[in-house]
Amino acid sequence: MPNNNEEAHQEVIPGQAQLDSSITQKINYLQTLQAALEDHDDRQIYELIDKPRYDREVKKSRSTTKSQNLADLIADDHEQLSHYLSENLIDYLGQTYPFFYYDEVKNGEFDIYFGNWWDRRKFGKLDVLNVAFEFDETEYNKLKRAFELDALNQRYNTENIAEISAGSAQLQKLIDGQDERDHQKETLRQQLKEVSQKSTLPWDSGKVKEERQGIVNQLSQLADEDEEAINANKKIKENDEKILSLSKEDTILTYEKQSIQQRFEDFSHFESHNQSLYTDYLTNLIGKGQVKADD
Amino acid sequence: MINENDPSTLSTSGRLLSYNNAVKEGLKTGEQFTELMDQLINTKDPKELVDAAQALSVFELDSDYVTFPHQYNNADYYLIFMSRLLELHDHGEAITLESHEDNQHLTQQIASLGDLGVFAFISANDSTGGVYYQDQVTGETLFYLNLKRRMMRMNSSAITRLFIETYADKVEKDQLLVATDLLIAFGDALKTDFGFDVDFNLLDTNNNEFYAFQTSNLSGEIVDKLFVAAASENYMLKHDEDGAVLELAPDLTLKIASHNATGGAAWGLYIADKDQQVSWFKVLLKYPFLRDWYLENIDDLQIRSDSLVF
Repeated sequence: MPNNNEEAHQEVIPGQAQLDSSITQKINYLQTLQAALEDHDDRQIYELIDKPRYDREVKKSRSTTKSQNLADLIADDHEQLSHYLSENLIDYLGQTYPFFYYDEVKNGEFDIYFGNWWDRRKFGKLDVLNVAFEFDETEYNKLKRAFELDALNQRYNTENIAEISAGSAQLQKLIDGQDERDHQKETLRQQLKEVSQKSTLPWDSGKVKEERQGIVNQLSQLADEDEEAINANKKIKENDEKILSLSKEDTILTYEKQSIQQRFEDFSHFESHNQSLYTDYLTNLIGKGQVKADD
Repeated sequence: MINENDPSTLSTSGRLLSYNNAVKEGLKTGEQFTELMDQLINTKDPKELVDAAQALSVFELDSDYVTFPHQYNNADYYLIFMSRLLELHDHGEAITLESHEDNQHLTQQIASLGDLGVFAFISANDSTGGVYYQDQVTGETLFYLNLKRRMMRMNSSAITRLFIETYADKVEKDQLLVATDLLIAFGDALKTDFGFDVDFNLLDTNNNEFYAFQTSNLSGEIVDKLFVAAASENYMLKHDEDGAVLELAPDLTLKIASHNATGGAAWGLYIADKDQQVSWFKVLLKYPFLRDWYLENIDDLQIRSDSLVF
């Protein structure tokens, strides 16, 4: 039945052509990517993995070409791509952010460490495919706050440390006052004895009772202070530990602050640099590509 | 039955003869002693010196029939030996040996320490003739010496207490260093002249010397303390693969590590400088913030000494 066949063939053609073109597009896409990998053309790879962003932020083109999302084709290759692209990116970041250190915890996955000092902080992650820092929010906000406090000539934990130190001073006073309290207690007990021994006239009994109660209250107040003094040494030690960890945090924040000041002068410059990182990096790659082409 | 060892079995002349022989023996022992003394006092040969000292340190001068009322203690001969050995190595001026005639014993003073410190050897009672070099004022024993087993061991805790704490505000730093250099010179002489096994401990200036901390599990808190203290003196304690590192000068680094020189797991520190002239001891003298850190955490940080003799 040739007619039927022909009809079927004719019906299929438009769809097939579309399919054919779609597949060709994919093949082209993958071939371009493969070639870019062979040529170590990282710029091209970045363009391929996120064309809309590339057009918008690098080419600055306003028209958004609605292209099929071919990048999904390589979704399961992201780990390896990230690993591959990290080499040049980290080199580049090293010039702008000499104080960041990267640790590849898994293939293509990088933790960021701030600084090379003792117990430096883990500061977030590096998103290689998107050329972006993903800073740990808590750590980042601490640093931001440290910059704000710098204007007031204060460190992040200055107030906290002052408060704890005052507490320790109070506790030390309590410890030092033990002899004085013992002496007071002795005197009060003696008074209590005297009051008890007084032959009370009926109309005085209320007054004596009151006097007695006053002494008993003072004694119990002193006993409370004794109790506190017993635990004071332990508390002071705990406070010392707290102060140490706060001082350490202040020291780390100071180092971080200095690192940023040396490179960016202030925090806002640092922030704006981070925001334009993608554009800056790809522009840098374009520049490099031109140098290569000129050679 | 005639038994020479039992005088009651001898005739009178036999008894006299036996007495005379015993006296002769005693005198011979005395003569041997004076020869050894001559050797100890006069020889210019290190080998003869150590032989004499070794013999005298276990010498029994008295016999049943001949006793000598004026005698030095066996340990005193070590002091003569030490003085003489240093003299042979051109350090004779650095120490003075004093003889106390009233109760017949010797003491030594280290010139750079002035009137502080009166040193003498005391027996270690370890049945191999070991002795401790002890300050008679504080009772601190600076090192252990054993001529028979050919070994010398510095005592880190005594050196710390005496030189870093007790003498710190009484003697100039450079004079303290002259004193410890003398101890090092003595150890070096023992090493080169007689092949002694010497542990200089915290006085060792070798870069690969691992100064092992007392604690085998250093708390992060102690390193935190150093981090904060160093920062306030404008030194940055840096992260290191195996612990932490502090650059004290362009050519002087202190490294806290969790492995010793042979890779074994242990906490301690290394001091590295180009000329290998700096020891942990010198660093402690030079940097007050490190001294304070060390002394405040001494229970954990005390550099280990040979536990067999200390």
